[in-house]
Amino acid sequence: MLKSTPISHRLTPVALAFTAATGLLMGSSAQAQDQDITIPVVIKATTASYWQAVFDGAHQAADKLGIQIEELGPANETEVARQISIMENLVSRQPSAIVLAPVSNDALAGPVEAATDAGIPVVIIDSGVDTDRYASLIATDNFAAGQRAGHALAGCIEKSSGNASGEVAYLRTNPNGESLVSRDNGFLDAMKQYPDIEVVDNRVANNDTAKAMNDTLDLLNRYPDLKGIFADNQLMGDGAGTAFAEQNAADDVCLVAFDSSELEVDFLRQGVIDSLVVQDPYMMGYSGVWFAYAASQGVALPRSVDTGVHVATTDSVDEPDFTGLLDPKQRQLTPYLAPTGSADSTDSN
Amino acid sequence: MATHDANLSPGRRMKIPAATKTRHLRKWGLPVETLVLGLTLLLWIVMSISTSTFLTSNNVVNILRQVSIDSIIAFGVLFPILIRGIDLSVGSVVALSGVVCATLLTMGLPIPIAIALTLVLGVAIGSLNAFSVYRLGIPAFIITLAGLQAFRGGAFLVSDGTSVFGLPKALSAFARAEWLGIPSLFWSMLVIGLVLHFILSRTRTGRYMVAMGSNHESARRAGINIKRIVFFAYIVSSVTACIAGMLLMARMSIGSPTAGVAYELNAIAAAVVGGASLFGGRGSVLGTFIGALLFATIANAANLLGIDSFWQMVATGVLIAAVVYVDNLHKRRQSGMK
Repeated sequence: MLKSTPISHRLTPVALAFTAATGLLMGSSAQAQDQDITIPVVIKATTASYWQAVFDGAHQAADKLGIQIEELGPANETEVARQISIMENLVSRQPSAIVLAPVSNDALAGPVEAATDAGIPVVIIDSGVDTDRYASLIATDNFAAGQRAGHALAGCIEKSSGNASGEVAYLRTNPNGESLVSRDNGFLDAMKQYPDIEVVDNRVANNDTAKAMNDTLDLLNRYPDLKGIFADNQLMGDGAGTAFAEQNAADDVCLVAFDSSELEVDFLRQGVIDSLVVQDPYMMGYSGVWFAYAASQGVALPRSVDTGVHVATTDSVDEPDFTGLLDPKQRQLTPYLAPTGSADSTDSN
Repeated sequence: MATHDANLSPGRRMKIPAATKTRHLRKWGLPVETLVLGLTLLLWIVMSISTSTFLTSNNVVNILRQVSIDSIIAFGVLFPILIRGIDLSVGSVVALSGVVCATLLTMGLPIPIAIALTLVLGVAIGSLNAFSVYRLGIPAFIITLAGLQAFRGGAFLVSDGTSVFGLPKALSAFARAEWLGIPSLFWSMLVIGLVLHFILSRTRTGRYMVAMGSNHESARRAGINIKRIVFFAYIVSSVTACIAGMLLMARMSIGSPTAGVAYELNAIAAAVVGGASLFGGRGSVLGTFIGALLFATIANAANLLGIDSFWQMVATGVLIAAVVYVDNLHKRRQSGMK
């Protein structure tokens, strides 16, 4: 022990100098002191590629800010209790801010308020929540997105059979999430504008791809004259697309689905799925982390931001506009953010 | 397929199992299986009359596809149930095997090798379960409940939390193929079902399993190699779950870590409704198939009639309770008659 003491004394100034040098090097961006900030990002289902895109965007933002994120969330969107306990655990750990995509608008309202009461700003992404005590809401306007899906379905029916008329049905992920309910309502609202189109049925497939496939097969069977199906999320789209491929139904029946798994994009290229309504989960994760960081520094944020939707069709799937939306790994933010560096300076106090 | 009466002394059963079976067949018929088969047929007849869409070749093929994977899992689960055990891990094994096989395939391994490696995984999981039950003395319910968690977690780890995409087209082509108008999935189920039926009814291992389920201690005293039977039962259960997992993967053309959630409960329900006793010693492959067919028919009928998805769940639950109650009544009357 005695012998080692002088050595550590000799080392300490070196270590200090190194730290100081690093600090000087990074000091210009004022980010060095934030290395220990970790913002938890709580998503709805770790198993869907949609949510992986949210994480990708969140990581990108964290890298820019020089902070850490923590990936959290239940395995499946139906696990409401699991997400509530994640939030409860977070509140007791006191992170600087939380990014949350609530699986249920009413059940998560309490935990969001509890976090706000504990002084932790919560940035809500993707889906609304039944309270106004959050820092900001960054989401798709799901009602409008559902309307877009409805118009895309009507457009496809008109294209394939000459006029927008006939029977359609839709597959529901679960009747619990605000984003999904708004989406379904938007779809139904759009369908009302086509007096000759009748929505004949809907099936709840519990976010299970295999069930979505079986339900689609049964819908195709029950309604031999069915003109179109709308699948309201990615796993529903995977299941419905597989059923269409199995039955060779793509020529007679239009299929419009949400989001963009690799399987869905493959189906879109083949023409099995006619249109994909693509949200921007990458941007939700990216801006969610920026906003959470800003809120943790005491910045007052806009109440809500719409990240928009885009409709990709079999014809437009390979256009450059969709590359980063359909495959988050190819997402490029540089044309908008990198050259000026203004985004950096806005938030670094 | 015979039902096996748990009240018989195992010693007597082991000496003249075939004769005992035939006599019971004549005397009481096939109680639950007959009831469930009757219910299923009734449902088919009612649906055929009340809808124009049910009894179409397309819909029947759909039902056959839907029942195939569920049946294969249920056949496997029947084996631990027969020896008074249980396997709650099969739903997670379905996901794990699908994800593992899909990952191996996307790494560029040839299809037969990927399948073989996944089956080896099934044997390993079954051996692990059997070892824990037989050697470590952990109750089957607990160790397979642990497996339900662990293997699901494994599926997420292997797949990095998302679906594994990019499988050879030959697999989805196989899952969509039909031979003599019957889907390949159903043929797979038939082959597996026949093999397992043969093992249960025609081999010594099968008879020992039934004897062991009826009375564990007597079976041991009678010199049955309990270790071998326990390992056999759990390996059958895991390997069939792996086969089902790969078939589901082929059909969906993705390896999904969320596949097969709660399938273990559907499988157990099919076996029980098909005449298996959770106290062991009683159950059949044919009965299990009929049980699975009833559930698949209910799901299909609910969709064709446009019955609310939630009412369908309620109806399935009520049906399980009712069938088991009627079965118990029947058994009680049987023992009363003695």
